[in-house]
Amino acid sequence: MDVQADQAAGAAQAQAITGSSSWRFAPLGVLIIIVLILPWLASPLWIRIATEVLMWAGLAQSWNIIGGYTGYLSFGHGAFFGLGAYVTGIAMVHLKLPFGLGLVFSGILASLLGAIIGYPTLRLRGAYFAIATWAFGEMMRQIATILDVTGGAFGMQLPAFLNLPFFYYVMLGVTALTYLTTHFLLERARFGYKLLAIRENEEAAEMIGVDTVTIKMQAFALSAFFPGVLGGIYAYWVTYIHPDSVLKADVTDFMVVMAFLGGIGSLWGPFFGAVVVQLVQRILWLVWGEGTFYLVIIGAAICAVVLFIPNGLVGLMEARFFSPREGLSRLKKKIKW
Amino acid sequence: MMLQSEDLIKSFGGVTAINHLSLTVEKGSVFGIIGPNGSGKTTFFNLVTGVYPVDSGRVIFNGKNITGLRPHHIAELGIGRTFQIPAPFTKMTVLENVMVSAFIRTSSLREARTMAREILERVRLEDKANQEVANVTLEDRKRLELARALGTQPSLLLLDEVMAGLTPAEVKASIELIRSLRTQELTIIVVEHIMDVILSLCDRIAVLDYGQKIAEDVPDKIINNPDVIKAYLGERYSARH
Repeated sequence: MDVQADQAAGAAQAQAITGSSSWRFAPLGVLIIIVLILPWLASPLWIRIATEVLMWAGLAQSWNIIGGYTGYLSFGHGAFFGLGAYVTGIAMVHLKLPFGLGLVFSGILASLLGAIIGYPTLRLRGAYFAIATWAFGEMMRQIATILDVTGGAFGMQLPAFLNLPFFYYVMLGVTALTYLTTHFLLERARFGYKLLAIRENEEAAEMIGVDTVTIKMQAFALSAFFPGVLGGIYAYWVTYIHPDSVLKADVTDFMVVMAFLGGIGSLWGPFFGAVVVQLVQRILWLVWGEGTFYLVIIGAAICAVVLFIPNGLVGLMEARFFSPREGLSRLKKKIKW
Repeated sequence: MMLQSEDLIKSFGGVTAINHLSLTVEKGSVFGIIGPNGSGKTTFFNLVTGVYPVDSGRVIFNGKNITGLRPHHIAELGIGRTFQIPAPFTKMTVLENVMVSAFIRTSSLREARTMAREILERVRLEDKANQEVANVTLEDRKRLELARALGTQPSLLLLDEVMAGLTPAEVKASIELIRSLRTQELTIIVVEHIMDVILSLCDRIAVLDYGQKIAEDVPDKIINNPDVIKAYLGERYSARH
């Protein structure tokens, strides 16, 4: 009885939502306008926080390309961010090149390094791939620490450019590009189908004509490109980088955590993951001052996600808002009080 | 002549899985391969499709030497293959599974979708098109396995025990289905344990034992061949009868 009533209510709700399809995009439109004019609305602190959120949204999505869509859990992705930061830094400080050109180099070199690292490591699967990429990340940190051109352990000072809206918009542009690329290349194209096939069953994918070696390398290079560019922007934004800031394992960890929290293998998952993690972190910091307590909350949230909503926040939202009937029954099955 | 293997040898450690195997499959025919467990049937498929490198010998497909090519390349040349244990892309829909194989011939999403739908109709899976594979039955998974192989538009189809685990009624339906696939443009090689299936489908049958071909003939003669009976039923049984 109870279930039937629920189902009827769910169906009615579903109809109400799909019935007014044009209104479904209204909140999205409002959101886009707010995002575009944010620097006029917010205080410098909140522009900073928003810039940070955007950066992490882009980073988490980049990780999602190889980790979520292709099923290869990279634990060295922070290295591409760090590489990008240093390349832009070196380009601007030592080669006196403009910022934009630095970003181009950052993206290309990160991508190239991704392909080079991917060639041997993408033959490994599961934990072995994770360990190999993690070792690569550590290697990059050591290299940055011993080289002269990177300033070694002392780091590197970039020319200061104090213009928050500028960095906000650059970050917004690159992150938007990350999401557009994911949408058009992974969600709406042959390339994306091939990646999913590799994730689901690599041997079978190869057997029906997917050149798995090449496709995996392309995916890895693509997922390294955006962190490279974002790292370059970050370096110019914060003006001072050193191995323990841009090449710390934390950078990778957060990409992974955000993608998982939001829902891996989905377009909007990493975005929501990044927003939630960054906001929780910043709000706790504003309320209680600098601390690491947010890690406890994030940790608990990850446990909850893995246990109850393996498809992440996005999975939960899709289930609840777009197919309430299915979502409710799935939730009831999951949560047996 | 569609497929020819010349003196193929493949061993794993001390075990010779395929031992000097030479087979010739005519274009447009249905060719059966039978043999006891471990006689090298699936290994033969793995050699033809490039999953394993051969130790020696050659595989000629359509007049072209395909020995040593990677599996995706061989699929592109026109060999489709099903897995003994279905290996579907579980988190994708039935239609999307077949679309991935159709992408070998087109890069357009719409074309791939149309091609995949046609194939699902051929194997009678069209009403399951939008279901996630995680939710379909074993019979449907076996059909999907077939649909995915057909999706690459092969001229040679290798079927590896597509009927194992099915009920007699399902087997009957599958035989009809495979018979309907057969055309002058599609040569089929069937590996199967169920004798009825092999006998009713094939033009010629090869019998493998310990990686060697011990007989090759038309179905009627194969079932009366003393070597075949010995391999299948044992030395003592054949001595008594």
